[in-house]
Amino acid sequence: MIKLNLEIITPSKIAFKSEVKSVTLPGVKGAFQVLKDHAMLISLLDIGIIKIVTLENNELYFACGGGSAEVLDNKLLVLVESLESQDEIEVDRAQKACERAKERLKAALSNKEIDLDRANVALTRALNRLKLITNKF
Amino acid sequence: MPTLRDLRIRIKGVQSTQKITSAMKMVAASRLKRAQESIVNARPYARKVFEMLNHLVIESDRLNNPLILKREVLKVALVVVTSDRGLCGAFNTNILREANNFIKNECEANSIVPSIFCVGRKSYDFFKKRPYPIVNYISGIFGKLKFENALTISNFLVTNYLKGDFDEVVIIYNEFKSVIQQKVVRETFLPIPFEYKKEVELKADNYIFEPDKIMIFERMLQKHLRAHIWRILLESNAAEFGARMTAMDNATTNAKELIRVLKLNYNKARQAAITKELLEVVSGANALRAN
Repeated sequence: MIKLNLEIITPSKIAFKSEVKSVTLPGVKGAFQVLKDHAMLISLLDIGIIKIVTLENNELYFACGGGSAEVLDNKLLVLVESLESQDEIEVDRAQKACERAKERLKAALSNKEIDLDRANVALTRALNRLKLITNKF
Repeated sequence: MPTLRDLRIRIKGVQSTQKITSAMKMVAASRLKRAQESIVNARPYARKVFEMLNHLVIESDRLNNPLILKREVLKVALVVVTSDRGLCGAFNTNILREANNFIKNECEANSIVPSIFCVGRKSYDFFKKRPYPIVNYISGIFGKLKFENALTISNFLVTNYLKGDFDEVVIIYNEFKSVIQQKVVRETFLPIPFEYKKEVELKADNYIFEPDKIMIFERMLQKHLRAHIWRILLESNAAEFGARMTAMDNATTNAKELIRVLKLNYNKARQAAITKELLEVVSGANALRAN
């Protein structure tokens, strides 16, 4: 039987490579799920959470930085800037990053030198990580 | 014939050089391991981004993107990636020779004006003595490579390319093949060299695009350009450590051989001196007895 083959690659490593049942991805226009025999697709991904259902029906969750995904002949290729599992995220660090991003964002409103977009992205990323570890998704 | 003292000093000198080269070898070896790991891990990402982009381009080449469109080449930017420090064998020499050949054979022969972008101190040292204009110079990034470095380089190249300051961007760097092997590679960075494939063209119409082709395409282009430069920096970095390790290993072996020869000469000279002294004592004694 043909199965959906998932490959997640980040700039620093091949993060995930295996056959899976389904994958839910954070597309820029909303989350979508990919099962086997999905139509050909290329999509941009937002910062968000990737949910993978393995062949043994285990659910895996990862926080990902933005990227892109391609479905072609039952091969799902996901290229993301970063990928972290629940165990990899440190609560303290994520919380601190969140605080820092918030402060930066506040400062950016009054100070033109600080890049507003970058501060915004940093905050989204930090919140996304926190969301994953606190299971609020 | 050098005296015993000269030989002793010489041996000591070579021995301390050997200590330095073997220490440098160890340092290069430990750094190499990390550099090798990061390049091996970075390659699939860069390759896949380009592959995905290739699947898109057939649809999108109608968009006439200026980053893909080939134009008549009058001005070339040449990015020369070398190391900051020497003592790594032919690593830099090979790159600079290739760069020089390229300028002579491809640029000057076709009356194209080359401008140089130096990455690494060695390439700057080489080109500042030559008549070609240096448009940018970056050094000191290889100690601790950061993704921002790749960003800066790629942004500079893209901006100036779009402004029309150059019509083509060519990069020359060392590719990391194995610990003992580096390959000099010359690549066209801009315009992006796509392979046009018939089968892909047929498929490209059937893709679902989200949000839309043009947006995906532009984002992927940016990603590709950055990932490409990042990969090149990592390649060169790993290749440099590999080259340095081999060079220092050779130097250590040579020093060992040199010490062996010097020690042999030293012992010969020492024995000759002893024999001479003995002869003097014996002949002196004989002379006394004869009296």
